[in-house]
Amino acid sequence: MAEPPSTDSFSELELKQLIACHECDLLLRRPPTAAGDRVECPRCGYELYTHRTQVIRRSMALVIAALLLYVPANFLPIMRLNLLGQATEDTVWSGVLGLYNNGMQGVAVVVFLCSMAVPLLKLLCQFAVLLSIRLDIGRSYGLLLYRIYHHMREWGMLEVYLMGILVAIVKLVDLAELSLGLGLLCFIALLLVQVWLEVTMSPHQIWEALSGEDEHARD
Amino acid sequence: MRAIDAGLLICHECHQLNPQQPDSRKQFCTRCGGRLHARRPNSLVRTWALLLTAAVLYIPANLLPIMTVNSLGKGQSDTIMSGVIELVNYGMLPIAAVVFIASILVPTFKLVGIALLLYSVQRHQPMSARQRILMYRFIEWIGRWSMLDIFVIAILVAVVNFGSLASIEPGYGATAFASVVVLTMLAALTFDPRLIWDNTDSDDDHE
Repeated sequence: MAEPPSTDSFSELELKQLIACHECDLLLRRPPTAAGDRVECPRCGYELYTHRTQVIRRSMALVIAALLLYVPANFLPIMRLNLLGQATEDTVWSGVLGLYNNGMQGVAVVVFLCSMAVPLLKLLCQFAVLLSIRLDIGRSYGLLLYRIYHHMREWGMLEVYLMGILVAIVKLVDLAELSLGLGLLCFIALLLVQVWLEVTMSPHQIWEALSGEDEHARD
Repeated sequence: MRAIDAGLLICHECHQLNPQQPDSRKQFCTRCGGRLHARRPNSLVRTWALLLTAAVLYIPANLLPIMTVNSLGKGQSDTIMSGVIELVNYGMLPIAAVVFIASILVPTFKLVGIALLLYSVQRHQPMSARQRILMYRFIEWIGRWSMLDIFVIAILVAVVNFGSLASIEPGYGATAFASVVVLTMLAALTFDPRLIWDNTDSDDDHE
């Protein structure tokens, strides 16, 4: 837990020794950080930052794994349905197309963004940011991309989509012959890797590495 | 002590502290270049606008059919509520509960909850800051889950496509519902949680 600074000593403290809670604007003295530390705001309980070891290497491995899984997860069939000899397949992409062709362009665009476009762009942003830290090139673009990434975070909804797949399966299982496809497996794997990546890549350390404040962050 | 009282601005994007420059109109973060504001500009007004739009669309979202099931020439329209009732009739209670929570309880709770937060910030309600911040975090976290029904429709429309034998068509209720979800998510993003703490004057609220 961090300690709130006393008011009289404030002006002598340098900016670098201070930190403010993003959610309630409480000003704190920056606590000393060691690997594995998690700092919370004493007033509202918001997580200020977490310090992890080998952030860049681990995140890099996870980003590459997620990017490899992305194509099979979105374009391999999630399920096959068989009704009286007629068979249909469902992929994430065919769901978008189905809505679009039925005159629901608006909804199709929302589904496309939340389930395909934003997750991919998020991964690409993270990959570019990590590359720029690792190779020490284009830090200013890295900063810009990481800002864009933070705006997209909320809008990638892979876990909600997975729940949607489950509900659809339950609705269909009595109506027709249903079999699950390899796409579902890839989709679940992509989701797990992506969640793991978000936990690993602690924003506080990435910002410091991007602005060159922390020389050890590259390990 | 709040950062704003010390003349410091937190960057929205990277959470870096920047000293406030009183003479400059526009200020940008020294680390990431993001635009700096002490509080999100017009947070309350913008949140109200988004919330009211969502509330208006909430009506067609619940009354219009979200999809039509065509089977052997017969068409049956489903609204959000009738979809849940149908699941209950099939005896699939756990899934019915999930759909009920995601598509009926959560949107309603969000509309009421955000309105309550806005009202309490403007009128200095007796709700404690801690209650309100918990509510805000819950609303922010749960918002995305309302997209569940939209994704289910997308999957069903794609997979149940057997021509005249059986097919599912999406309805305009789905458009309205998707708009409600997106608008309430935007409203939660526009609301500045620091306003909750600004008017509680209980800086020592923490244990």
